[in-house]
Amino acid sequence: MSSGHTPIRRKLMTMILLTSGAVLLLTSASFVAHEFLTFRYSTVRNLSTLGQVIATNSTAALAFDNAKDAAEILTALKAEPHVVSAGLYNSAGQLFATYPQGLKSGGFPPMPGADGYRFEDHFLVGFQPVLMGQRRLGTLFLKSDLGALFDWLRLFGGIAAAVIAASFLLAYLISRSLQRQISEPILALAQTAEAVSRGRDYSVRAAPAQGHELRLLTDGFNHMLERTQAQLSRLDLLQKITRAIGERQDPASIFQVVLQRLEDDMPIEFGCICLHEAQDDYLIARTIGARSIPAAAAMGIADHTHIPIDDNGISKCLRGHLVYEPDVREVPFPLPQRLAAGGFRSLVIAPLLIESNVFGMLIASRREADAFTSGDCEFLRQVSEHVALATQQAQLYGALQRAYDDLRQSQQTALQQERLRALGQMASGIAHDINNAISPVALYTESLLEREPNLSERTRSYLVTIQRAIEDVAETVARMREFYRPREPQIVLGRIHINRAVQQIIELTRARWSDVAQQRGIMIDLRTELADDLPDLMGAESEVRDALTNLIFNAVDAMPNGGILTLRTALAGPQRVCLEVSDTGLGMDEETRRRCLEPFYTTKGERGTGLGLAMVYGMIQRHSAELEIASEPGKGTTMRLIFTLSVPDTSTSGLVPVLVPTQSPLRILLVDDDPILLQSLRDTLEGDGHLITAASGGQAGIDAFTAAVAGGTPFDVVVTDLGMPYVDGRKVAAKVRAVSPTVPIVMLTGWGQRLVADEEVPPHVDRVLNKPPRLAELREILAELTA
Amino acid sequence: MKAVFLFNFAQFVEWPPQSFEDAAAPFVIGVLGTDPFGSALEGAVRGETLNGRSFVVERYRSVTEIRHCQVLFISRSEAARVEEIRAALAGRSILTVSDIEDPAQRGVMIRFVAENNRIRLRINADAAKAVGLSISSKLLRPAELVTSAG
Repeated sequence: MSSGHTPIRRKLMTMILLTSGAVLLLTSASFVAHEFLTFRYSTVRNLSTLGQVIATNSTAALAFDNAKDAAEILTALKAEPHVVSAGLYNSAGQLFATYPQGLKSGGFPPMPGADGYRFEDHFLVGFQPVLMGQRRLGTLFLKSDLGALFDWLRLFGGIAAAVIAASFLLAYLISRSLQRQISEPILALAQTAEAVSRGRDYSVRAAPAQGHELRLLTDGFNHMLERTQAQLSRLDLLQKITRAIGERQDPASIFQVVLQRLEDDMPIEFGCICLHEAQDDYLIARTIGARSIPAAAAMGIADHTHIPIDDNGISKCLRGHLVYEPDVREVPFPLPQRLAAGGFRSLVIAPLLIESNVFGMLIASRREADAFTSGDCEFLRQVSEHVALATQQAQLYGALQRAYDDLRQSQQTALQQERLRALGQMASGIAHDINNAISPVALYTESLLEREPNLSERTRSYLVTIQRAIEDVAETVARMREFYRPREPQIVLGRIHINRAVQQIIELTRARWSDVAQQRGIMIDLRTELADDLPDLMGAESEVRDALTNLIFNAVDAMPNGGILTLRTALAGPQRVCLEVSDTGLGMDEETRRRCLEPFYTTKGERGTGLGLAMVYGMIQRHSAELEIASEPGKGTTMRLIFTLSVPDTSTSGLVPVLVPTQSPLRILLVDDDPILLQSLRDTLEGDGHLITAASGGQAGIDAFTAAVAGGTPFDVVVTDLGMPYVDGRKVAAKVRAVSPTVPIVMLTGWGQRLVADEEVPPHVDRVLNKPPRLAELREILAELTA
Repeated sequence: MKAVFLFNFAQFVEWPPQSFEDAAAPFVIGVLGTDPFGSALEGAVRGETLNGRSFVVERYRSVTEIRHCQVLFISRSEAARVEEIRAALAGRSILTVSDIEDPAQRGVMIRFVAENNRIRLRINADAAKAVGLSISSKLLRPAELVTSAG
C-alpha cells in the first residue's frame, strides 16, 4: 500500500480511537469522581466512627477527670497512622488530653469548634462531642491527614491509566482490523477508479465488496463503468459510421455501409432501410444489411418489397418518433408479425428525417426480447439522423453533379459548335476552290460522254467512273457544311440499289484497298456476301456511297498487316436491309468504341480527321437508319448499317437518260475569275452551239456586257461566278440588271447550297447553279430562262 | 468535685430493678453522717434525670434511716461505725462510697483517694457484684481495683 492510501485508514482509525478514548476517559473520570466521593465519605465515616468510639471510651476519663486515662485512650489512635493528632477538651473547653503525647498544645485549636467533620487544608478535622447520657462531658478533636485519600487516588489513577492504555492498545488493534473492512473495499475502488482514469480502460471492474452499502457502491461503480464503456463504444461506432458515410456520395452505398457497421459492431441481427414517398401508404425496402439478407428472404423481404404502413409502429415513426417494440409477438401489425415469424423479438424503427419530413426508416431488430436499452435506442436515433443528413447531402451532391455535368456538356457543345463553325467557314473556302477545280473535269467528262459516240467501251466506262467520282466530290464538299449546320434542310432522296452501290464503291476504292495496300506489301482480301433480291432503299445515294467509302477506308486502316475485308448485304427482317462492313483488324477498345462517332475523334493521328465516322453517323441519322458497332480489340470490327424501307417512291429510278436538247443558239456572257473553268464552260457550251463571250473577272464581265449592249448585240443570258476578287457575282448581277432589266442572270457558286440556305437567291439573280456545274442542269436552266 | 463524682457513678453502675420502690421512684443519693458537700450535691443533680428517674438527695444520721437508696456516701464522721453500717446494709443493692482512709477498705465499694491534688477512685468490684450491682468497665478503667480480702 502506498502512502497515498493512508488517509482514509488513518481517519477511520483516528475516529475509532478518538471515540473509544473519549468514552474511556469519560467513564474513568466519572468512575474516579464517584470513587473519590465515596472514599471521602467513607474516610469521614471512618474517622467519625473512630471518634465516636474514642469519645465513648473517654466518658469515664472525663467524668472522673482522669487525664492520664484519657491520654491512654487516645494512644489507641496509633493503630490509625493517618490520624495526625487528637485531643480531648473537657466541658469547660480546656484541653484535657492530647495525642501524640509529646505534642505541644499549640498544634490544637484553643477552643473546640463546631461539632462535625470537615476538610481543612489538606486535613480532615472533626469535633466529636463526648456525651454521658444527656450530659456533655467534653469534646474530642481529631485531625487526620489525607494520605490515604491521596494514596488511594494515586493507586486508582495508576490503574485507570493502565486500563486506558490497555484499552487504547486493544482499540487500536481492533480498529486496525475493523477499518480494513471499510477502508480496503474503498481503497480497492479508489485504485480501480485511478486505473480507469489513468489507463482510460473502461473494461476494468472493481472486485465485489462485502457489506450491503459497499456492495451497492461497487456495483454502482461497476455499473457506471459499464455504461461508460458502452457509451464509448457507441461513440466510437458512431464515429466510424460518420466517417464511412462521409466517404460516400450515393445513398445506396451509405445505407449499405451503415447497416454493415450496425450488424458488425453494435451488433444487430436484422437491419434494413426502407424509403417512403409522401403519397404512398407503404414503405419500400431499399437496402438490407448483408447479414440480414437470408433472414429477410425468409420473411419475404427483399429489395423493393412493399411494406404496408400499419396503424401503430410505422405510422408513429412516420410522424417522426422513434418506435421501440420490446416484443413484436405482442404487436398485431404486419411488420412486427412478419419479424416475429422470422424469429425476431425486439424491434426499433428510427425515422430518417429531413426538415421534419420522414423520407425513410431504419429498422433494427434482435432475436431476443427486450434487447434494446434506452442507450441503444438513442444511439440508433443518432445514427438515423446522420444517415438522413448524409442522404440529403448525397442527393444534393448528385443534383450538383448533374448540374455540373449538364453545364460541362453545354460548354462542350458550345465549344464544339464554335469549332465546327470555324471549320465550316474554312470548309466553305476550300469547297469553293475544290468546286472550281473539279468543274472543268465534270464539264469535259460530261461533254465527252455526250459528244463522242466513237469512244471505246472501256473509255466510256472510265469516263462514267470519273463523272461519278466528280459528282461524289462535289457532294462531299457540299456536305462539309453539315458540321456546322447539322440540320440538313433538304436531302434529295432517290432509289438506291444497294448491291449495285456496293459494287460501285468497291471499284471506286480499289486504289485504296488493293493498290496502296500492295505497295506497302500487305494483302487485303476483299470479299462480298451480297444477298439477292434486296429491295431498293430510299435515300441520298451519294451519302450512302460516302458512308460506305469511309467504312472501307477505316477497315483498311484497321488492318495494317492485312486481313479480310467483308462487305455483306442482307435482309434484316421485314422492310429492313442491313449493310455490313467487317474487318479482321485491330478492333476497338471500349473507350474508342464509345467515342468513335464523335467528330474529330481519331485514332489515326495526323492522318485522320476524326470526321469519317461522324459523317457516317450523320448519314445514318438523316436516313433514320441504325448503326451497330461490334468490336473487340484484336478481333476486328463489324459496322452494321440497318436501313428501314420507307414507302416505295414512284419516281423514276437510277440515272436519268441523258438528253441532248436541241436549243437555239444563244449569246451567252460567261464571267469567272478561274480561266480553266471559264475555258471548260466555254468549250462545252460552244459544243452546244451557243455563242460565248468569256470575261475573266467581274469588272471585265460588266464591261463586256455594257459594250455588247452599246454595240447593239446584247447577250441573251449572263452566267456569272459568285465569288470573285474585287467585283463579285452580286455586283455583276446588279450592274447587268441596271443596264438590262430583262436579261436572265445565272449565278454559279462554289459555296454550293450554303448560299441557298443563308440568303436564298441573291437579288437580280434568276437562278443559282452549284459548282461543278452539270451540263444537263445548265442546259435545262438555259432552256427554261430563254423559253 | 466529689459531689459530681457521686452523681457520675449513677451513669456507670447498673442497679437491679428491685432496688427501686417502683418504676417511677427517683434515684436516691444518700449521705450518711456529717454532710461535707453542703449544697454542692443538690447543685450537681439539679435538673438531671436518668432513665426517666429524677435525682433525690437524702441525708441520714443513722443507718437505720435508710429506706430506698442507690448511692450512699458514708461520711468520715461515721468512720468508727463502718463495720456496723456494712452489716446493716448487707445484701442491699446500695453502692457505698466513702473517703474514709482505710487501707483494707472494708465494706465500702468505692473509695475516694487524694493523690497529687487529684481525686482517684479505688473500687472493690467484688463487693458491688455481691449485692447485684454491675460496674461499667469504663468506670473501672480510671480506677484502682481492690478486693475484699486486700
